Amino acid sequence: MTNQAKMQGFDLDRLALELGALPEAPLAMPVQEVEAPAGGFFGAFFRLRPAPARKAGH
Amino acid sequence: MPPRGPLGAGVIVTRTLTLTASLAAGIGGFLLFLQFGAADGLDAMDIVRSALIFASTFWLAWGATTALAGLTTRPPKVPRDTGPLTGRTAILVPVYNEDPVATFARIAAMDASLKATGLAGHFHFAILSDTRDEAIATRERHWFLRLLADTEGQGRIFYRRRSSNRGRKAGNIEDFIKRSGAAYEFSIILDADSLIEGETLVEMVRRMQAAPGLGLLQTLPGILHARSRFGRAMQFAATFYSPIFARGLAMMQGRTGPFWGHNAIVRTRAFAESCGLPELQGKPPFGGHVLSHDYVEAALLARAGWQVRVDDDIAGSYEEGPENIVDHAKRDRRWCQGNLQHSRIIGAPGLKPWSRFVFLQGILAYIAPVFWLGFILASIAAPLFAPPPDYFPVEYWPFPVLPVSQASKALGLAVGVVGLLFLPKMLILLDAGLRGRTAGFGGFGRALASVLAELVFSSLIAPVLLAYQTRSVFQVIRGADGGWPAQVRGDGSLRFGDAWAASHWIVTAGAVLMGATQWLSPVLVPWLLPVTLPMIFAPLIIAWSSKPTRSGLFLTPAERQTPAVAARQALILSRWQGMEAAVEPGAAPGPAVRHA
Repeated sequence: MTNQAKMQGFDLDRLALELGALPEAPLAMPVQEVEAPAGGFFGAFFRLRPAPARKAGH
Repeated sequence: MPPRGPLGAGVIVTRTLTLTASLAAGIGGFLLFLQFGAADGLDAMDIVRSALIFASTFWLAWGATTALAGLTTRPPKVPRDTGPLTGRTAILVPVYNEDPVATFARIAAMDASLKATGLAGHFHFAILSDTRDEAIATRERHWFLRLLADTEGQGRIFYRRRSSNRGRKAGNIEDFIKRSGAAYEFSIILDADSLIEGETLVEMVRRMQAAPGLGLLQTLPGILHARSRFGRAMQFAATFYSPIFARGLAMMQGRTGPFWGHNAIVRTRAFAESCGLPELQGKPPFGGHVLSHDYVEAALLARAGWQVRVDDDIAGSYEEGPENIVDHAKRDRRWCQGNLQHSRIIGAPGLKPWSRFVFLQGILAYIAPVFWLGFILASIAAPLFAPPPDYFPVEYWPFPVLPVSQASKALGLAVGVVGLLFLPKMLILLDAGLRGRTAGFGGFGRALASVLAELVFSSLIAPVLLAYQTRSVFQVIRGADGGWPAQVRGDGSLRFGDAWAASHWIVTAGAVLMGATQWLSPVLVPWLLPVTLPMIFAPLIIAWSSKPTRSGLFLTPAERQTPAVAARQALILSRWQGMEAAVEPGAAPGPAVRHA
């Protein structure tokens, strides 16, 4: 029974992936240049790290 | 290359007036405070406080003048193609550990709404899963089969899950474009909680078809389904005020409009050519993946010559918002890190000046609370730096010279600051009343009550939000990465214990602030009560505001009359939630389930 249930789950997963397959129509997406050459004033300002921390959250 | 056009005269005039008025307000605040501070002799702390007042007042005035620009202009007529839809559009739904039942019910509702337009054949849905939780991923696959069965969506609705969520949401979209982008002329980018009417989806495509140089069209999403006091206040504010602020923003931005990450349509080829994002050098929070990718993508499209536009007259576009202050603060933490990370991008080669200014605005939005905090702290500490009073400044003059009180200057400044905060909202109310827009909010009387309640409520929570924002800024500056927490949706009701755990440090900070004021500048204690009291009562405010309410206040048009697509979604959701499993062999007629 357990095996059958597992098999059914496996088949459903495979079926979902088969039916959900995206159309193959590749489009190039070249990487753009987005960083200031030397980081700029703001980059330098925010790189000041008086007391480094590792984790954050609420 | 996309066709280019000049900036309109209206855009240049609006930008000039707004910037001039904001600078004038900032300089006025600076001079007023300098005179107040100099009454007992000018010292370094007076100059520091005046500079902080300049920055803060400029920022407040910028918001107020944006609203004024929105109130004094109407949406321009934009071209719209009424002919047949020519290309195919992909509707992208990125998901990340979301509840698949709720998310897929929205897709089913949008699909039904599209079918009602008779143009559903021009649209495909692509569910782009970045879910890392295996149990949720399994549910996604099973509910996807249910979605296919219910919508007969095989060949129109797709699902794929990435093995690695490199680049987060931006990487998820990029992965789709690299694999399937050539099949679609346009892509509508959604969030998991987005909901758009079929007519609106078609309208977005029509506007893109009519403007070959348009790379991205952003709609102004309204907020739906808020239940808590906090959520409904935010929902009211977003529905009542935001269209006016967005109008003002649209007037200033011209061809360099915004992208808010969702509820927007892009020209797929333009997006692919312009928006491939690299990993920034170094480690998070400033290096690594671009966190607030939407602002960057808008700037890159503009850099490549494509127009980016926000059309605030498009209705039928919705999203959901956080239901409590803690969830709001978590989202804000992510946005804070993303906006401060733009400090690495603001100097990128070739960007339009306005794009750089937008990055600066985004950074200021999070730095401004720190300015206010700096001003408060400097004011408390000012007596330590003040020179002793000199009653005999003129040599050999036998009578004392008493300093003239400049308290009226400080009072004038305080009135000005409060005016900058409240006046735009009152003007928006007046405008809504004159144009009949208040009818959707329960009439003028109820809209007035809602606006007043929102003013009180936003004043109450402002110090708490200021505390969270300030902490976020310092965390980011200290190098702490906030990660990529999944969005919290649904009922956000918090117990007092949860609220206390999330805000006890704010209580401590408020108490210390009040104690320090009493010790160093007792005269400031009553002035600072509007800041310190909400901080001390933060857990109560957070817990109370997270509770559900059915009050007549904060009524919105969507609450009065549920939008058609939301009604469909509710119907589908209630049906699906009544099922024991996503896939019930024999019960569902769709080919996908029959095969299963």
